[in-house]
Amino acid sequence: MTEKNKSILLSIALLILFIVLGEIITGDGDRSKANMTEYEILMGMDEKQAHVPGPIEVIKLGIKELSHPFYDNGPNDKGIGTQLFYSIIRVLAGFILAVIVALPIGFLIGMSPLFYKALQPYIQILKPVSPLAWMPLALFVIKDSIMSSIFVIFICSIWPMLINTAFGVMSVKSDWLNVARTLEMNSFQKAFKIILPASLPTIFTGLRISMGISWLVIVAAEMLVGGTGIGYYVWNEWNNLDLTSVVFSIIMIGMIGMLLDSFIAYLSRFFNYNE
Amino acid sequence: METFLQVTNLAKRYPIKGEKNKELSIFENVNFEIKKGEFVCIIGHSGCGKSTILNNLAGLDLPSDSSIAMEGNRFDKPSLERGVIFQNHSLLPWLTAFENVFMAIQCKHKNMIKQEVGIKTKYFLKLVGLEASMHKKPSELSGGMKQRVGIARAFAIEPKLLLMDEPFGALDALTRGNIQDQLLEICEKTRQTTFMITHDIDEAILLSDRILLMSNGPEARVAECVAIDIPKPRKRSEIVKHPSYYKIRNHLVDFLVNKSGAIRNQLQEGLISDANFPLQIDSTQL
Repeated sequence: MTEKNKSILLSIALLILFIVLGEIITGDGDRSKANMTEYEILMGMDEKQAHVPGPIEVIKLGIKELSHPFYDNGPNDKGIGTQLFYSIIRVLAGFILAVIVALPIGFLIGMSPLFYKALQPYIQILKPVSPLAWMPLALFVIKDSIMSSIFVIFICSIWPMLINTAFGVMSVKSDWLNVARTLEMNSFQKAFKIILPASLPTIFTGLRISMGISWLVIVAAEMLVGGTGIGYYVWNEWNNLDLTSVVFSIIMIGMIGMLLDSFIAYLSRFFNYNE
Repeated sequence: METFLQVTNLAKRYPIKGEKNKELSIFENVNFEIKKGEFVCIIGHSGCGKSTILNNLAGLDLPSDSSIAMEGNRFDKPSLERGVIFQNHSLLPWLTAFENVFMAIQCKHKNMIKQEVGIKTKYFLKLVGLEASMHKKPSELSGGMKQRVGIARAFAIEPKLLLMDEPFGALDALTRGNIQDQLLEICEKTRQTTFMITHDIDEAILLSDRILLMSNGPEARVAECVAIDIPKPRKRSEIVKHPSYYKIRNHLVDFLVNKSGAIRNQLQEGLISDANFPLQIDSTQL
């Protein structure tokens, strides 16, 4: 058996173990009706209690939800696919805005030690600010909850991109720059034929980190602003005390996060090089 | 033959950290000239500033003091007229061998149509025997092949002066021998004016018309200029039979082992004078 097959088999074994353990540990929320008075039954006390769902319950809900992912029964009842779609669109919008801003500025900082030193204190101060701290300010200025959550994504994903771009540009080998000089390249050619391709792998590392952070942040942001999106969905189901949906959406958030990450990783393959 | 490159009173000094107005001199008073079509090697111990001289000639680094003139013109920045082959090949790893050479030719001939550039690229890759693997990335090529792409790239821009910084230093002896033979052949064909740094005495004798010998740094000098009068075209297997070969070889070894270290002291004590450098030597004097 190959190493890969072994690891797949082990993964499956762990999954089965996890499901079995989960079923044993969690209850089903049933209450015995035997000792209930008619009044209690009339009050609905014989219905299932809120409880942490077992794996099978989650899987059942998952199958149900995923077979109609895009239904829309009004603001409080939308399919998981619809909610995820809103979140993904917001993340991509904020992310792309950040790319448009961060890459040119990062390039500039990397090319010029002067700009690097001048902007360094601002970057260092703004970088550790939790993106959600921007939310009140964003809501006040932008006056739109959706645009505000996009802004929050923008502001949290800009820093890793900026720093990695600057770092990538700064660490272009001097030998390659010497090649550009001996070939009498102008600044434009030097930037696009030497520096950009040389720093792309580092830039993509930054993009990957940013994408990860954006996906973390969107859930929290949507919990705050409400309306639509997977973050809102989780919070709404918590308010409904529907923990099965909460667990199901946790799994979905993880899966989409993985997909987004592998998408960037896949793109970066075209720009990586070995020395 | 007319003088093509004239180097007069070249010097490089670096400020010493922490001490104001004090400078460490790498080399001083370096004088030599290169004629058109000539192959000149420079040999010296590590730290004597060979690479700095080469970078000065390329225009990548500015000397503290000098006049370097190529065909009578002074320069202060790199140019396509002076091709450089770097020690570590310096190919762009995200481009294939073909694209590396292609880009260089495009830089030289800005208005040439792509097809023509492609034909030229293939010609130069064929010259170094790489037509079979020209669409591979540098990481897929062996050390010798990478260096050959570097050679093709440098020749492809058809520079007036070719500068080589220990181009074969990182290669094993067999590969090095092959590429030397190839280089010999190409230089024979193109009459390329070349300045090359090497640590390998046999390589220097095989390739050059003249060999410059540097004393040890700091304050190094180009102390001797040895003419190699073995007729060209040369063959590795035959030059050893030439009567001058061992005379020259022994002289070079003697210089590097016994003399190069003492020259600085002798200069300071006034036993020898800068005015004599470089001593012109040929095999009849040995």
